[in-house]
Amino acid sequence: MAQVLVVTSGKGGVGKTTTTAALGAALAQHGQRVVVVDFDVGLRNLDLVMGAERRVVYDLTYVAQGNVRLHQALIRDRRIETLFLLAASQTRDKDALSEEGVERVIKELRASFDWVICDSPAGIERGATLAMRFADLAVVVTNPEVSSVRDSDRIIGLLDAKTEKAARGERMDKHLLLTRYDPVRAGRGDMLRIEDVMDILSIPLLAVIPESEDVLRASNLGSPITLASPKSAPARAYDEAAQRLMGVDKPVSIPNGRNGFLTKLFGRRAA
Amino acid sequence: MTAVAPPASFQFCGRSFLAFVLKPKMPTSEWIAEADKWLWRSPGFFSGKPVVVDVSGLLLSKEDAAGLIADLGMRNIRVMGMLGTDDRLADPALPPLLSPAGKTEFQIPSETPDPQPMPAAVAAAASSLLIDSPVRSGQSLFHDGDVTVIGSVSSGAEIVASGSIHIYGTLRGRVLAGADGNAKAHIFCRRLEAELIAIDGYYRMADDISSFLGKSVHAWLDDSALTIKALD
Amino acid sequence: MTWLSLFSRRKSASVARERLQILLTHERVATSQSDLIPTLREEILAVVAKHVAVDPEKVEVKIDRGKAVSLLEIEIEIPATAGAKIFSPLPQATKGASGRLKEMAAKPA
Repeated sequence: MAQVLVVTSGKGGVGKTTTTAALGAALAQHGQRVVVVDFDVGLRNLDLVMGAERRVVYDLTYVAQGNVRLHQALIRDRRIETLFLLAASQTRDKDALSEEGVERVIKELRASFDWVICDSPAGIERGATLAMRFADLAVVVTNPEVSSVRDSDRIIGLLDAKTEKAARGERMDKHLLLTRYDPVRAGRGDMLRIEDVMDILSIPLLAVIPESEDVLRASNLGSPITLASPKSAPARAYDEAAQRLMGVDKPVSIPNGRNGFLTKLFGRRAA
Repeated sequence: MTAVAPPASFQFCGRSFLAFVLKPKMPTSEWIAEADKWLWRSPGFFSGKPVVVDVSGLLLSKEDAAGLIADLGMRNIRVMGMLGTDDRLADPALPPLLSPAGKTEFQIPSETPDPQPMPAAVAAAASSLLIDSPVRSGQSLFHDGDVTVIGSVSSGAEIVASGSIHIYGTLRGRVLAGADGNAKAHIFCRRLEAELIAIDGYYRMADDISSFLGKSVHAWLDDSALTIKALD
Repeated sequence: MTWLSLFSRRKSASVARERLQILLTHERVATSQSDLIPTLREEILAVVAKHVAVDPEKVEVKIDRGKAVSLLEIEIEIPATAGAKIFSPLPQATKGASGRLKEMAAKPA
């Protein structure tokens, strides 16, 4: 059964696109058929982070409008054969992407893939609500920082209001992905602790991704971090997250600030 | 020269409409301040609704009237007519006069809003609402009756109820109990970190409740004073 | 992984710079006027369609934009009965053919 997953946050710049690429690549490396879809019409980034920026011919808007078939627009990753990308349009405006068109595309993607990962734009306007509309589950990317937490809370509210799942009266599974976590600053009390964020947002924890230079380097190179630096702490954390999404039940590892992790004793449920 | 009949497509007739009537008092600056308190509790209440201002007995000059209309306009209240005045205030820059000087008085069925009317109607009879999930930032809950939340109320969320409000979790947002003039409403929460709590319009904000922060509290109105007590 | 060995001696920032230079050169052209490549693509397809009925679903287009040279690959499946010379406008999914053609040329992906 295909799963449509939306990666969203509300706040910009917290790591949605990085997460989409990392999770997508990690799932694909575990043998899953994965397509990552960029919903940021006009400001596309997923293609850049995936390193496919030179190969984009047709985009989501073009497919949704019925101008071209889906298989003609999908870009296969050169490194992992079960990983595909559907890029966003760079020159069209947001209103060109219709809800009916997106619904059709997602339905078609479900038929060929195990995972359809929708990279949401920042904000709570049309692009973000379209990205979440047809999702089965959500990964809410949050930095341990007040405005990011507030915006994530808002987005969680929207996940329960503006999605097909909500309209059917079902509750969407939401997972917290804490990014740019710095254990030293958290320890000093200069950064919100994991428990604080979990307490405020009240959704189960998927993973804690440490702040790391490897993320920037991977983006520079155009490679998802799970491919570019698989041994790095962020890559390992993302890989664990991918495993959890596939149903493996393990407690979340907390980064210890030295490219390692603390003894894995953090349960997933909010306190 | 024969008169030219108007083209058949241009027709007009008379109709009556229901509108809210606001009746300012002097000094208007104080009345506006009171209106602000009301609007703060129910923002956007008048947006898009027809509003008429009754200035009878006020002896406003044209400038005063214009100022008042402008003040209301800034609060998203668009005044479509003025009542209770003679043609001293007739002016193209001001809303039309609804009772022309000395002539027939229009009887406009008007509905004066209650000082604290019920927010968005729910059931005719007050009922108890149970919410078993957190109330998220940006969500607004209006209910006629009591509200119980199993979960937290996030910063940026608000609950407005005519009855009491019980939060089995952390209250970080705003709650307004007894919003329809019910001074007997109560507020309970497991952990107080609220931005604002109010009962029957009497409110306290975060700064005023700092000594209770983080505690389990019960709030009620004691003779118009919003009183808070820690529960354990 | 062979990708990375090419860049092992270069700092990742310089890789990023080069990628951006190539990309933005193309994107600036695209936003200011029609990108050459989509235009070429559409005109080539139109030429082929003049002689052979082309199923738009059997067309694969791949692009690799480079600094000095861009690589455009167009794969068109031509049915075995292609001998017949049939004039047909470019087959469309929805609307009028020549209208669609102009539209596709003017709006790069």
